Amino acid sequence: MTPVTLALVATFAPAVAALLLLIVFPLRHKGAPAAWICLLGSVVSLGAALKLLVDRLGGAGDTRVTAPWIMENGRAMAEMGVLIDGVSLPMLVIVGVVALCVQLFSVAYMHDEAPRAFGRYFTLHALFLFSMNVVVISPNLLQLFAGWELVGLTSYLLIGFYFAKPSAAKAAVKAFWMTKLADMGFLFGLLVLYVFTGGFEWTSQPTTLVATWVTALLFVAVIGKSAQFPLHIWLPDAMEGPTPVSALLHAATMVAAGVFLVVRADPLFALAPGTREVMLWIGSVTALFAACLALVQSDIKKVLAYSTASQLGYMVAALGAGNAFAGFFHLGTHAFFKALLFLAAGSVIHAVHSNSLEDMGGLRKKLPLTTVAFGIGALSLAGFPGFAGFFSKDLVLTSLEGKGNWIPWTMLMGSAFLTAFYMGRVLIKAFGGELSEKSAHAHEGGPAMTGPLVILAIPALASGFLGGWIGTQMHHAHELHFLALTPVVASSMSLIGLTAAWFVFRNGGKAPFAGTLERLDAFSLVDKTWAAGYQVGLLGISGIAGWIDRYLVDGLMNFGAWSTLEGGESARRLQTGRVRDYALMVVAGVVVLALIGVLR
Amino acid sequence: MTLTGCITLAAALLCIGIYGLVTRKQAVAMLLSVELMANSANILFAAFAHFRGGASAQVFVLFALAITVAEVAVGLALVMLIYRRHGDTTLDLASEAKQ
Repeated sequence: MTPVTLALVATFAPAVAALLLLIVFPLRHKGAPAAWICLLGSVVSLGAALKLLVDRLGGAGDTRVTAPWIMENGRAMAEMGVLIDGVSLPMLVIVGVVALCVQLFSVAYMHDEAPRAFGRYFTLHALFLFSMNVVVISPNLLQLFAGWELVGLTSYLLIGFYFAKPSAAKAAVKAFWMTKLADMGFLFGLLVLYVFTGGFEWTSQPTTLVATWVTALLFVAVIGKSAQFPLHIWLPDAMEGPTPVSALLHAATMVAAGVFLVVRADPLFALAPGTREVMLWIGSVTALFAACLALVQSDIKKVLAYSTASQLGYMVAALGAGNAFAGFFHLGTHAFFKALLFLAAGSVIHAVHSNSLEDMGGLRKKLPLTTVAFGIGALSLAGFPGFAGFFSKDLVLTSLEGKGNWIPWTMLMGSAFLTAFYMGRVLIKAFGGELSEKSAHAHEGGPAMTGPLVILAIPALASGFLGGWIGTQMHHAHELHFLALTPVVASSMSLIGLTAAWFVFRNGGKAPFAGTLERLDAFSLVDKTWAAGYQVGLLGISGIAGWIDRYLVDGLMNFGAWSTLEGGESARRLQTGRVRDYALMVVAGVVVLALIGVLR
Repeated sequence: MTLTGCITLAAALLCIGIYGLVTRKQAVAMLLSVELMANSANILFAAFAHFRGGASAQVFVLFALAITVAEVAVGLALVMLIYRRHGDTTLDLASEAKQ
């Protein structure tokens, strides 16, 4: 098969699965068949992606095939098609692997759901994978936007999977309107780009001013999608979805789409140094701020949620420093170890029936495999030397060196310490110490649960060594120096953070400092203030907009309808039904016509 | 009898017909008025044929007379129906037909 066919198969196999489940609803309502069809679609998709990868290793080059789309005056306004290159191919494989693992895990995790809900869950999963792959294979920004919006919609549906629960419904709506608000930036950016270059290509070469406008607008969308400060507040709420959904959305796919967009549009961003400066700062602030928030969470999923925002901050900072490869590499390793962490957390929640760290403890005795998996993910996230996260985080930090970027560099170093510290805290509180009351009856899930953990643990450990290959695929010449200043500082940060966590939280957090830290809700307060202010501001604006819509726009419409109705009522009286009246009207008409004839 | 005289006659008949149609309530009277108007047109036909020469127009008059008679037959049938329904031939009673 040609590369294009393979890419189309990779994209549309989940779409076919979703369509089948949507149309043939008995399959969906029965539950189990839906899971099998969805898994089949994902396996086919991943298989096609892997075949592309094998071809690539065998020396195949980039492929770009497009067809005209949206004809206007005989000329195509835009194109749609497939682009397989050093960025989209690794992404396709990463998304495929993570999605398949998550779906497999879900079969075990969601088995208590009613058959209908179970079927709906897998239908949404298939639809989501399709949307994400549309983003990945896009050859231009317009198609990417289409996929982007599909991802937004399906992630809304997945976050709100337990829609009967008010908090979940609220979280879904919040995630939706936050990202939609930011997506306005994408739309306006596309408009500006089209007006000035006549196309939606990221390879076009507009002037610096235009490039700055376009990239700044695109970056607004990235802030929303990738949960950057100050629009990060939807991400922790999105933890209301089922845990595997969090693993999918907040590891390799939805939030990563923002970073992927910037990697894709890197030629445009390269023309806009101003936007890159802003990105560097926003990324660094997010990394540090979210790491502080992750420190004080008692919900294991919220710790991971804030750490996701923090790691996305790293990626954005790297992209802002002009090193797209570093950002993309961190995106890849993060996808594996964060999916692993979320799934391991899911396994823990499944065993303990609680999200709270307070209810956990001593789980290493009951869940040995989960403990190892979570440990690998945590060490990778903390940047422990040799693990995947270490390589990519080093690369991000190295790309910030020099160029007067020492403040962001310091902030990211600080968050590297905090990352190690809060992951150490979770490890010790959940898995270390004595068995807690709720942990006493915990046991490992079946092979469908442990299998994905094992599969994901491998790349979470080792994907760091693939960096060189991805770098050559992206035509990025970079050598990793492991004895330079940054890697040494970064690894010591990681080790110091883990050691500090050990000293503070061992013995069940009896150290005097630990209690103080637990009560340190100040950062949460900042976050809540932000959220409240944002809510008041946005709800105020939407209130005004709603009033205008209801009373002015709709009023105009209603007035039109009302006057037509009233006019009809009056005109109706002309129709008396009496023959003489009609005769008189005919005569009057004839007279008028005659008069016109005479006078002319 | 001049052409002008004939035209005047036709115009007068037409006006009488219109007046009758608009003012009368009885169906038969209104039918008569319509008949007057139709015949004023026929007179014009015949008069122009007579003074301008050519007999073909006279054929039209015969046709028009025949068709008018047929129309009146239909009209009278309707009047009969109205009479059967209401016991009266006042045409305003038929205004219920507008529903």
